[in-house]
Amino acid sequence: MLPLLKYHVRSVFVRWRSTFATIIGLALVIAVFVMVQSLAVGIEKTSANTGDPRNLLVTRQGALAEATSVITREQFNIIRYLPGVELDATGTPIASGDTLIIINLPRRDGTGNSNVMLRGVAPAGRALRPQVSLVEGRWFVPGHREVVASRRLANRFANLHIGGQFKTGGVELTVVGIFDGQRSAFDSEVWLDADEARSAFDRPDYSSMLLRAQSDEALAGIRRTIEANRRLKVKAVSEVAYYKELTRTAGPIKWLGNGLAIVMSIGALFAAMNTLYASVGARTREIGTLRVLGFRRRSILLGFLLEGALLAAIAGILGCAAAYFGWNGTSTGTFGQETFTEIVFDFQITPFLIAQGITFAIVVGLIGSFLPALRAARLPVIASLKAA
Amino acid sequence: MTIPGFIIKNAFRNKRRAALCVLSVAASLALLVILLVILDFFVNPPEDVGSSLRIAVRNKVSLAAPLPVRQRPIIAKIPGVEALTALTYFGGNYHGESSTYFAQFGMEPSQLEAVFGEAKMPRDQLEAWMANRTSCIVGADTAKRYNLKVGDKFPLVGTIYPVDLDLTIAGFYKGTTDDRNVFFHQKYLDELLGDPGTVGMWWIKARSAEEVPGVIDRVNAAFANSSAEVLAETERAFQMDFISMMANVKSLIASICSVVVFALALVSASTMSMAIRERIRELSVLKALGFRRHELFAFILAESFGLAAVGFILGVGGICAAFASVDFSAASGGFLPSSLSATPRIIGIAALVAVGLGIISSLAPALSVSRLSVVDGLKTLD
Repeated sequence: MLPLLKYHVRSVFVRWRSTFATIIGLALVIAVFVMVQSLAVGIEKTSANTGDPRNLLVTRQGALAEATSVITREQFNIIRYLPGVELDATGTPIASGDTLIIINLPRRDGTGNSNVMLRGVAPAGRALRPQVSLVEGRWFVPGHREVVASRRLANRFANLHIGGQFKTGGVELTVVGIFDGQRSAFDSEVWLDADEARSAFDRPDYSSMLLRAQSDEALAGIRRTIEANRRLKVKAVSEVAYYKELTRTAGPIKWLGNGLAIVMSIGALFAAMNTLYASVGARTREIGTLRVLGFRRRSILLGFLLEGALLAAIAGILGCAAAYFGWNGTSTGTFGQETFTEIVFDFQITPFLIAQGITFAIVVGLIGSFLPALRAARLPVIASLKAA
Repeated sequence: MTIPGFIIKNAFRNKRRAALCVLSVAASLALLVILLVILDFFVNPPEDVGSSLRIAVRNKVSLAAPLPVRQRPIIAKIPGVEALTALTYFGGNYHGESSTYFAQFGMEPSQLEAVFGEAKMPRDQLEAWMANRTSCIVGADTAKRYNLKVGDKFPLVGTIYPVDLDLTIAGFYKGTTDDRNVFFHQKYLDELLGDPGTVGMWWIKARSAEEVPGVIDRVNAAFANSSAEVLAETERAFQMDFISMMANVKSLIASICSVVVFALALVSASTMSMAIRERIRELSVLKALGFRRHELFAFILAESFGLAAVGFILGVGGICAAFASVDFSAASGGFLPSSLSATPRIIGIAALVAVGLGIISSLAPALSVSRLSVVDGLKTLD
């Protein structure tokens, strides 16, 4: 016979006083798990949001990030004129040699300094990254020591508002505009004119180059040509693939989230077992009655497992809701391991993460209710009916 | 029966519940200690003996920008500077790995003892390192992890620099706060790069602690308005700067700590009150026998206190044993240093939380017992 669904569901709510603490305890575990994991998801999403499938990013062989790469002007010119590179209306190849400089800036809240990525981009570089759009002020004018900062960085660092000035490497830079990168990796950057960057920071070479291919086949063709040319010593990957890899920072965060969840859930597990044991103890007579009515041992077992799972599912939903309404979409930042600069991203609570959280809760509930359920199923009928 | 005997009997009457209660307290306290240790590592990184005398000099633009070699003789002449070495972060990957967890630095071997005196190693190994330009010394933790021997090849693939290092191990050191790092000859890196005339940083040892602020000012002033302005700061300030880059992660861990404590209080308070509710009748009998309210309160308090204390011993004892035996660095993929340990302060905090827990979880049941009229209590079924 199937367990008495209504009886078990209502039992969870009848004894709400004793189950309340357990539910809240488990809900907190799930909230912490979902929240920490959402940071890792946020980093991965920001990476995945960046890049255009038609673009090819060229860096030095062996360089893990753009900032540590070097592309000489000679390399830039060879690659720029390869067949397959898209041309603009005037017949010039659409390619941008970028210069990346890591600068140290004070935080807005006065809690110290951190590194910020300064990207020198040519006008073509802006066209190649349509995700980035100006939302305030104006773009920098070549020949002037002007920069445009991402809105998210401007919220985190001092002097990155319009009109703000900062001195680095002996040059004084003025912020003339604010851009929005639509939650891409560019949200963690400050842009200035490419030639200005090279002259201000005394860089003869570029760091990386980005180019637009005429088609998918052309892109593959350019890649092959570049890789076949051993003398170039550069590596070409699609921009999308490059950014997809920049998720090393998410590793330790995931580790932290999993570790926390495991240890906290052990604590919650004992609490859930306690509650359910108490519940079984208090309902000895009821269980005896069910048995007399013809319910089998295994339907009692199943019924109590169901109670545990239901209790845990409520906790899981509560925990996910708390995490979602408390943090989803909130902007935060930490040190990016590949970029060596501050990366800005959001807590991203995805449906998949919520499903993970609720599943995790139910697993805890099932494990926690197994022993109490076994005890309930094994109660001798006569003795349990006699129980006070 | 004596009163302590009575309390102990009561606490363990429902053995299963007592055990579950103790275990949930233990698991939560263990987690609290782990989090506090990690937080402490961020807020208050370990300090070397020589730390107060050392000064880090980096390019003012950022750590990623190099410094010109021509600065060395100028710094060496600054009064108060006892010793000085180049220190260049290589950031390579140990062969076959995609993200190596230990740091590697190019430096001047002759300055090792003068600047990083706490790094202890056998004399012959130090001399062997100084003599061989392509050799390196490896921290004891890294040596243990990779099971390395003197004379082993130690290849590093460059990620920041376009060169690979083909190193041989000359010796092992230990005694610093982070015995994971690898040091090699700055000269070897220069040679591979074709003498670029730059280094990553300068690392200075001041003559005395009193001279440190003066040396910092003089170094900063010496290169002000030059093409490579520097930022000199104490080693401590440099470390703290690095940690402040972690940004919001720090406050995240702190807030998780408080969530853990709250969840813990909730769960054990509910367990305790469950145990008391079950015994309302007995407590009424005790009341009828003439026990006073405060005596009953003492019984309950002693019982919950005892459970919390056992949980504390199990949880904190267990985690301290784990710190001693588990390699957290390997488990966390290099995120944490290999030697974590709970400081007395952290154990004290955990003890305070346990005490607070004992008190909080006895409050609600004690209150209901003291309010209870004897007749009502005796009437209660179950």
